[in-house]
Amino acid sequence: MDVSRIRALRGPNLWSHHTAIEAVVTCSPEECSISTRNGFEARLRDRFPDIRPMRSIGNDDTVPMAHVLEVAALDLQAQAGCPVTFSRTADTHETGVYRVVVEYSEEAVGRLAFDWAQKLCLAAQHDTPFDLEAALHQLRELDEEERLGPSTGAIVNAAAARGIPFRRMTKGSMIQFGWGSKQRRIQAAEMDTTSAISEQIAQDKELTKKMLAAAGVPVPVGREVDNAQDAWAAALEIGLPVVIKPKNGNQGKGVTVNINNQDHLNAAFDAACEFDDDILVERYLPGNDFRLLVVGDKLVAAARRDAPSVVGDGVHSVKELVEQVNKDPRRGTGHATSLTKIRFDDIALTCLSAQGMTADSVPIKGKRVNLRHNANLSTGGTATDVTDDVHPSIAARAVAAAKMVGLDICGVDMVCESILQPLETQGGGVVEVNAAPGLRMHLSPSFGKGRAVGEAIIQTMFGSKDNGRIPVVAVTGTNGKTTTVRLIAHLFKQHGWRVGMTSTDGVYVQGERIDTGDCSGPKSARSVLQHPDVDAAVLETARGGMLREGLAFDRCEVAVVTNVGSGDHLGLNFVNTLEDLSLVKRIIVQNIAPQGMAVLNAVDPVVAAMAAHTNAAVTFFGVDKNHPVLATHLARGRRGVYVEDGCLMASEGSRHFRIPLESVPITLNGTIGFQLENVMAAVSAAWAVGISWDHISEGLASFDNDLNNAQGRFNLFSYRGATIIADYGHNPDAMQALVQAVQAMPASPGQRRSVVISGAGDRRDQDIREQTRILGDVFDEVVMYQDACQRGRADGEVLALLREGLNGAHRTKESVEIYGEFVAIDHAMNRLRSGDLCLILVDQVEEALAYIKQKIAQGIELNCLSSA
Amino acid sequence: MKKKKFEFLKVTYLKGPGIWTYVPIIEAWIDLGELEDYPSHTIPGFYERLTGMLPSLVEHHCGVGEHGGFLKRLREGTWSGHILEHVVIELHNLAGMPVTFGKARETDERGIYKVVFESPQEQVGREALHLGRDLVMAAINDETFDVPAAVENLKELIDDHYLGPSTNHIVSAAIDRKIPFIRLNDVNLVQLGYGCQQRRIWTAETDGTSAIAESIASDKHLTKSLLKSCGVPVPEGEEVSSAQEAWAVAQDIGLPVVVKPSDGNHGRGVFINLQTQQEIETAFIEAAKQGSSVIVERFIQGDAFRLLVVGKQMVAASRGKTISVKGDGQHAMQELIDAQINSDPRCGYEAEYPLSPIVLRREPTVRLELQRQGLTPESVPEDGRVVMLKPHGGNLEYDCTDQVHPEVARVAALAARVVGLDVAGIDLVTPDITQPLHSQGGAINEVNAGPGLLMHIKPLEGKPRPVGRAIVDHLFPPKQSYRIPVVGITGSKHTARIARLVAWLLHISGRHVGLACQDGFFLDNRCVDAQPSAYWEAGQRVLINRSVEAAVFEHQQEGILKEGLPYDRCLVGVVTDMQSTQDLTGYYIRTPDQHFTVVRTQVDVVLPEGTAVLNASDPQIVEMADLCDGKVIFYALDPQLPAMASHRAQGERVVFLNQHDIVMAQGEIEISRISLQSLNKSKASKPEMVMAVVATTWALDIKPELIAAGLRTFNAETSKTY
Repeated sequence: MDVSRIRALRGPNLWSHHTAIEAVVTCSPEECSISTRNGFEARLRDRFPDIRPMRSIGNDDTVPMAHVLEVAALDLQAQAGCPVTFSRTADTHETGVYRVVVEYSEEAVGRLAFDWAQKLCLAAQHDTPFDLEAALHQLRELDEEERLGPSTGAIVNAAAARGIPFRRMTKGSMIQFGWGSKQRRIQAAEMDTTSAISEQIAQDKELTKKMLAAAGVPVPVGREVDNAQDAWAAALEIGLPVVIKPKNGNQGKGVTVNINNQDHLNAAFDAACEFDDDILVERYLPGNDFRLLVVGDKLVAAARRDAPSVVGDGVHSVKELVEQVNKDPRRGTGHATSLTKIRFDDIALTCLSAQGMTADSVPIKGKRVNLRHNANLSTGGTATDVTDDVHPSIAARAVAAAKMVGLDICGVDMVCESILQPLETQGGGVVEVNAAPGLRMHLSPSFGKGRAVGEAIIQTMFGSKDNGRIPVVAVTGTNGKTTTVRLIAHLFKQHGWRVGMTSTDGVYVQGERIDTGDCSGPKSARSVLQHPDVDAAVLETARGGMLREGLAFDRCEVAVVTNVGSGDHLGLNFVNTLEDLSLVKRIIVQNIAPQGMAVLNAVDPVVAAMAAHTNAAVTFFGVDKNHPVLATHLARGRRGVYVEDGCLMASEGSRHFRIPLESVPITLNGTIGFQLENVMAAVSAAWAVGISWDHISEGLASFDNDLNNAQGRFNLFSYRGATIIADYGHNPDAMQALVQAVQAMPASPGQRRSVVISGAGDRRDQDIREQTRILGDVFDEVVMYQDACQRGRADGEVLALLREGLNGAHRTKESVEIYGEFVAIDHAMNRLRSGDLCLILVDQVEEALAYIKQKIAQGIELNCLSSA
Repeated sequence: MKKKKFEFLKVTYLKGPGIWTYVPIIEAWIDLGELEDYPSHTIPGFYERLTGMLPSLVEHHCGVGEHGGFLKRLREGTWSGHILEHVVIELHNLAGMPVTFGKARETDERGIYKVVFESPQEQVGREALHLGRDLVMAAINDETFDVPAAVENLKELIDDHYLGPSTNHIVSAAIDRKIPFIRLNDVNLVQLGYGCQQRRIWTAETDGTSAIAESIASDKHLTKSLLKSCGVPVPEGEEVSSAQEAWAVAQDIGLPVVVKPSDGNHGRGVFINLQTQQEIETAFIEAAKQGSSVIVERFIQGDAFRLLVVGKQMVAASRGKTISVKGDGQHAMQELIDAQINSDPRCGYEAEYPLSPIVLRREPTVRLELQRQGLTPESVPEDGRVVMLKPHGGNLEYDCTDQVHPEVARVAALAARVVGLDVAGIDLVTPDITQPLHSQGGAINEVNAGPGLLMHIKPLEGKPRPVGRAIVDHLFPPKQSYRIPVVGITGSKHTARIARLVAWLLHISGRHVGLACQDGFFLDNRCVDAQPSAYWEAGQRVLINRSVEAAVFEHQQEGILKEGLPYDRCLVGVVTDMQSTQDLTGYYIRTPDQHFTVVRTQVDVVLPEGTAVLNASDPQIVEMADLCDGKVIFYALDPQLPAMASHRAQGERVVFLNQHDIVMAQGEIEISRISLQSLNKSKASKPEMVMAVVATTWALDIKPELIAAGLRTFNAETSKTY
């Protein structure tokens, strides 16, 4: 079994909405059915008893090894605790070659599970040992390391439940919620609005205390001390008992409470000095430790925190009692579980000795023995939810404390006897405020109800209505994508949106190109969705990226499929048939938001059929409103865009909008059919997101398909009185559309038509041939050139195919073969006379267009000279 | 004969406006003793000795109002208290803390003077005072006094206790805009504005500077990937974990490269323009010492620049210059550096120095640069050889704000926005700052949170840029308020009750109110602290509270004398009477005129858009009306009093009693009446108190109906404690 081309599908993809690992698995003939391998399944189950039953994947009963790999990779993750359910093995048209897809929740874990699954298959095949425990352990460890911590996880889950998109910005806990100009960020329990200064203030306990006092929040009085002697003096000023702690500490390190005499104080002073040079002495507030969580201007949760303790049974020693307690399966070692094991260390022993005990003392039955003075969860303490008990005035103090320091997510530590009574009546107070507080004790307290803390944070960031989304339009199809994308972006701009756009010629934000090259993949889409100045995104979504990585977004508002026609790039990446291709292009249609819109070409049967695969509403477009698909749709009162009486019509039930085609320059009064399709698609998309008809009309009128708008998309030039059309068309459908457009253009008598063409080597033979066959019926001369990049073809191979296509051409009389794009362009242009038409199918778009422009400029100069 | 040192009887720091001036001052009471008999011109050689020690005293105009004014007085004869004042002010100036205000006044006891001088920081002021006395005494007795040591001493105190230069620059810009400030700790945390209108700064961080943005900025790798994805040019590079990998990545990227720690700062462990495997591997080892991981990236040719972005704008830019020394064939590297670079007077370790000294022992980056030129720290380069120390620009101290291409400025602002910082220092390298980055391969290297401002405030060359002003304008856009309504009430009769009633009325008009008065410290209707709170510190507590939307303060004359007011200006200043609850003779406040100087403080601080509420039945108080920058409302039982009548005749506001009604009238028009009979006895029996409340709340634009209702509903005993 050979596993190749392992890739991570990081967004909705061909197979599902889930993130998944995809691999191509080649099985030897005997591996194509495991039933032919004696005892294989028994050996497999011996090594991994919990693996699911296998089932056949095709129409016969065979179970290929690829399927075993699939099931193993999924079940290993599931057994390791990952929330995954989806997997699939699909056969291909090549015998023994399968595509295996396995869902993951963490990419690294998915990849690792794939590795272990392969090892398992091998072990079962060759009857060698397989260490299941080691595999699961490693997967669990990696998962714990990779997945979000409980605090961040809770916030992300709350966002996901609200339909807010999110993306991890780092391997840690930094998350982007929402897109473009609506994006927000968090890092654990810290929002992007959380002020760095406020965090610094919270770190400085004295300053915090001064501020809280100003806010009318009770705080323990105290002061900074220079040495142990001064500490004792301070303690006497304040009144015993007191607390000693380092000024800039955290997690209760170096804190000693309830100090009643000088010896205890001296020891405590030394302990605190280990953590900081600045030491505080404060009045000791007797009572319980409470943690109140304030989010925005509300108290959302409160917990009582109790120090770790054991209760004597008159039989066991303290040490044994601790061991018993630590056996509780809820007690873990990290921050992930609701309890942590009690630490039995020096601090615990010191605490014991303060109670006159040692590790071996046997406390009498019913005696509670504390093992620490502080109640932090991470050292074994417990948290009990008391949210519903909080007295309103206590809640008000907590909120006032957070506001005074300036923390929008704030953990307020309070000490008092009872949370049911005002602090003021019981001498309680706030001892500390914490930035980026841990949420674990509120999400899954040791005792009592968990609280919807993540929801509160998301609510504070996004209010109750916003979901952080900007309008996202995904555009795919065989031809016309780039022009459609540009046109939609242009219409959006009329609406006042700052538009981010990806296409095959770059990434644009507000018209500024920020990346070049083919940018129709998910990486470019992500960069638009991450840009802070983008109010709406229009994303050309090519099949390559969808196959390689899935979509860059969970769902779009509008999906536009311009056409599939007879396809392009067939034969690559297991996409061999038109049906295969439609499955890929359909991905965007399957991932439209419920309130969104699919914009589909009614005339292209493959595209029209996609309507059945979306829950969103559909807008069909097509020139002829009597086309059965469009007519039926319109008759049902649904949205349709078509052409009638020289006007672009948009209809929905009894509502109609009309835009005269004469005011849509790129259609040349409606003569250029394929531009008409692009316009209809773009108008449908703009309509779907609620752009006004005034803006749509203005946008169509002002969209100029010159070089600045869409390079290599039907760019028209005039040269020595002849017309030059430069286009990037490179498949049979594009040729048909161009030919239709060329024929529709007004022609002077005796017009001679020439075309310059190369063929892209990565197309199927038949598709290359087909292009010249189409051109041969319309052009007098065909200039064929071979370019530098042959995309895997041998020298001259493509030219030969192009030549074959010209066999039996109706119109073509002359043809010439040339090496080099510029040479070919020179050849064609030099032969042009007034009234002629030349179609140049450019390959290196920018360079070729620049060359043409330069040549035209020189030509004009020559003309000027001669007239002078 | 040697003269005896004069004594300080009492030294007070007045933190707010008081009888002398608006700014914080030291007030020292001195007893000249025998020196009372020796004015300056009677001590032979004194003039020469003093001006010898402090030649810059010539700048002091003194009362004479001309250059050398003070020296003229000195020659004609003036007393030591006055001399001390000028000496102390000059010591402040020499230590880099410019102050101007000072006064020396006789009291009515012979030889006892009050000497006051401006000092923004208490410890500095006190130390300067003592140093000043020693200096004056040394000049009198012809003894030595080490002026430079004294100045150095003060400089250290300023360094330890006063605002750093960047913060000070921002605070000065706030003061220029009349925005009040409060220091919240003993370093650089400063509050600008009051109560709920406040903003905070901590050096060049604001309360709008996001903690997450700071953590992004400190992660160079993350910063770069975010910038890149938003189209901001960055040097391509990769994180590496070993020296071998560093070399491999360098080859991928293309030489030369930069090697640096991913989370370091201040250029430590940053190695640039590395060409060879050995250089790169050595640099990796050094860089790895600074941070957890190391980045290898393309070396961008060009000069280093620092652009400061505030809000959405680039506001200043500096250029770095290459640093080199010239060999003389005799001295080793460090000696050359000490002689040619570190000897520059602008060079020093403290923040105030624009240039930092180069010590080879501490600068592996420079050592590596030497190594590349075939030198070691011990080498003695031949005469005339130029040795590059920091070829890529060391100190970014050369202003170039006006040359920055708008496209570069736009990209820098975008970079700050992408990271999420409201104030950011953008480090970039480009051959020509007057051209867009893209066109010439320039790139942004780093985005810094809390950037230093000194390079823009005091560039070595070029124009200083008002970056503090930009930050203040960013925090307080032109129309945004930075004050809350502040009411100050001075007097002795029912002033606590007046303060509480005013606070109550503000509270029921829908505002969160802070109140500091003799009855205690209150927030809204809650008594937070029942201890008498009519003192400076309690007042500050009200003003630093971020929830407080209006503040009310009661002041007694003693408090004004002892501490000054807790605010710079107020919206409404109220004077009820000229009595003092304490005996102020110990403050040398004995005559009615002296009391006047104390009480007038309350009226002096009224804002131009504010109002003084004055009891017109006391002619002394009526006199204060002319001192007020804002409007005046008079109140008195009798509307026929000349002050009342003429004020009303001018169309102004007055409050008076008509039978059993309190009448609010403006000019001819009677605005409203409040019946005293509708109030409980404890109020109805004190019509003057009620009038003061009515006039004050009227000045605060509270509607008469609400005033009437609030007066009826207030009950001093029912305020909550929780």
